Amino acid sequence: MQALIIIGHGSHLNADSSAPVYRHAEAIRRTGAFDEVRECFWKEEPSMREVFDLVESEDVYVVPLFISEGYFTEEVIPRELGLSGPAPSTTEKPGKTVRYTLPVGTHPSMPAMILRRAEETAGLTDEEARRAGLVIIGHGTERNSNSSEVIYRVTRQAEEAGVFARVRTGFLDQAPEVGEVLEEMEEPTVVLVPFFVAEGWHTQETIPDDLGINRPAVSHVTEKDGRTIFYAAPVGTFPEIAEIVLQRAREAGARIPSDVRVTEAAGV
Amino acid sequence: MSDAREVRGSHAPAGGVAEARQALAAWVDEAGDEGRAFLQARIVATEPGRYEIRHARDRGRPRRSLKRVTSDPFAAREIAQTTGAGEHRPLKTAPNLKRGWALVDLDARGLWIALDYLYPACAVHWHAGRTGTLRPTHWRETAGRQSGIYAPVKLLDDATVRNVVRACCADAVCLRRVAWEIDADTPLALADEGPVRGDAPIPCPEACSMFISFARQVLKIERTPRAEVAGLAPMAAAEMEQVRAIVAAAADGTLGEAREGEFEEPTNARRVRYLAARFAEAAVEPETPSELPCEGCPKKVPCAGCPLIGPN
Repeated sequence: MQALIIIGHGSHLNADSSAPVYRHAEAIRRTGAFDEVRECFWKEEPSMREVFDLVESEDVYVVPLFISEGYFTEEVIPRELGLSGPAPSTTEKPGKTVRYTLPVGTHPSMPAMILRRAEETAGLTDEEARRAGLVIIGHGTERNSNSSEVIYRVTRQAEEAGVFARVRTGFLDQAPEVGEVLEEMEEPTVVLVPFFVAEGWHTQETIPDDLGINRPAVSHVTEKDGRTIFYAAPVGTFPEIAEIVLQRAREAGARIPSDVRVTEAAGV
Repeated sequence: MSDAREVRGSHAPAGGVAEARQALAAWVDEAGDEGRAFLQARIVATEPGRYEIRHARDRGRPRRSLKRVTSDPFAAREIAQTTGAGEHRPLKTAPNLKRGWALVDLDARGLWIALDYLYPACAVHWHAGRTGTLRPTHWRETAGRQSGIYAPVKLLDDATVRNVVRACCADAVCLRRVAWEIDADTPLALADEGPVRGDAPIPCPEACSMFISFARQVLKIERTPRAEVAGLAPMAAAEMEQVRAIVAAAADGTLGEAREGEFEEPTNARRVRYLAARFAEAAVEPETPSELPCEGCPKKVPCAGCPLIGPN
C-alpha cells in the first residue's frame, strides 16, 4: 500500500492556511492513485507529531505544500518527522519507508502554471497577454533568501516564455517593493499573482490595500489611473497544484499510472 | 530517550492502525444500543457492521432536525473545522465540537475515517493507551528540539511548565489527558482531573503546537519584572493590564470571545487560565484582623466582626 501525506503550515487563527492542503488532498484522493491520502500541519491537527499514526501503508510519500526550500522544508519538517535529511530523502521507519520530496513551489512546471492562471484570471487571449504586464508578488525577507531566489527564477522563466510583454517581481518586505514595481509597469493591463501558498491576511488585505486596488472579496479587477489591474488568487490555491503534488510523489517513486489526472474546480 | 529520530512523528506501534480500527468497531459493537461516547461524539452501531456518529448531546434527536446528515465519512473534516459559532478550531480535542450533524451508515472503515477527521489520531492513541503501547515524548525532549522563535521554550523551569499544563491541557480547553512528563525522571505530578469526558480516555503523547506556542507566550510574561501586590501574586504591569481587560470583558459579557489560538489577547482562555494558576499557587494568607478601628467604631480592636454591617 502507498500513502500520500501533504504537509501544510496551518494556523492557530484561521482556516485559510490549511484550506488548499485539504482541497488538493481531496482532489488527489478522488483519483484513487493512493490507498491513503492524509493532510498534516505544523500548527493544526492532524499534526506532524502524530502523522505516521494516521496511515497504515508501508510506502509513504510526504510532499510539502510550501513555496520554497527553506527553514520549514529543510529544517522543521525533517526534524519533526525524524527524517534522514532534507528533500529528496528516504527514511526507514518501523514498518514504513518514508520518501520526502521537494516543495511544490520549486517544481519546474510552476512558471507555465502561473502564466496560464494569469491569462485566465484576466480573461486574456494570447494576443492580449502579449501586450499586458505580469507582476509576481513575493513576501521577501524570510528566514533565508531561498524564497526570493525561487520567485526571481520563476519570474525569469515566465519572462523568457514570452507570454506577457513584461514580467517583474515585487516584494512586500524587501526591494523592489511591489507598489513601485506596479508604478513602473507601462502596460495598460497588469496581472498580479501572489506567490503565496494560501489566502491570508497579506493576500486578502495588506497587498490590495497597499496597492490601492480592490480586495479580492470585493473584486479581482480594479480600474486605476487608466489601467486595468487584475489580482489573481495565490499560487498555492491553483487547482494545478494538485497535479504538481502528484508529480512530486511520482518523481519520488510512487506508483501512479501515467493516465491519472486530477480534476479540481478552480477557486478556493 | 522518548524522542528517538526513527520513531518521531508516531506514538503508537507500527501496524497499529489496522488493529486499532478493529478494536474500535468491536468496542462499539459490545456496547449495544447505547453505543459509546468518544470525547464529545457518540458512536452507535445501528445494525451489524454499520455505525452512526453524532455529537453526544444530539443523541435521540430526530435526523430531520439535524442540519447535516451524510454517509460521507470525509464530511467529518468540515464538521470539525469550526465551532458552532463559526470559529476556527486549531485543536480538534478542544471541548467545542459543534452540534447538529450525523455521519450515518458508515462501515468499520468509514467509522475509522470519520473519527480520525473529528479527532485526528485519537482512536489510535486510545487503543495504544489501553494496550500499554503508547510511547509518549516528554517535554524536555519536545522543547529541546524546537528552533527559531520557539527555541527559548526550553528555558521554562519545571514549576512554570506545570502551570502551562494547567492552563493549556485541562478538560476546559482540551479533552485529551496528558501522558507525557517533564522528563523521564521528573513527573508532572498534577492533581487528578477526575473522570474523563465520555467512555474513552484519550492520552496526549506529546505537547502540541498550541502548547509550544503558548509556552513561548508564557516565557515572555515570565521575563517581565514583577512587583508584589498585597493578597494576590507578584504582578507585572502587563499582568495588571490583563486583569483590567479580563474584568472589563466579564463586565461587558464578552469574556470567552477571544480566539483559542490568539495568545497575544489578554482575555484568551489559556492566558486567563495561566493567571488563575499563578494566583492559586501564590498562597494567600488568611486575613488577619484589622489592628485599627474604623472611624467612629465603638468596638475594641482587634476586630472580629462588625456590628454595623453584620457578620463577615
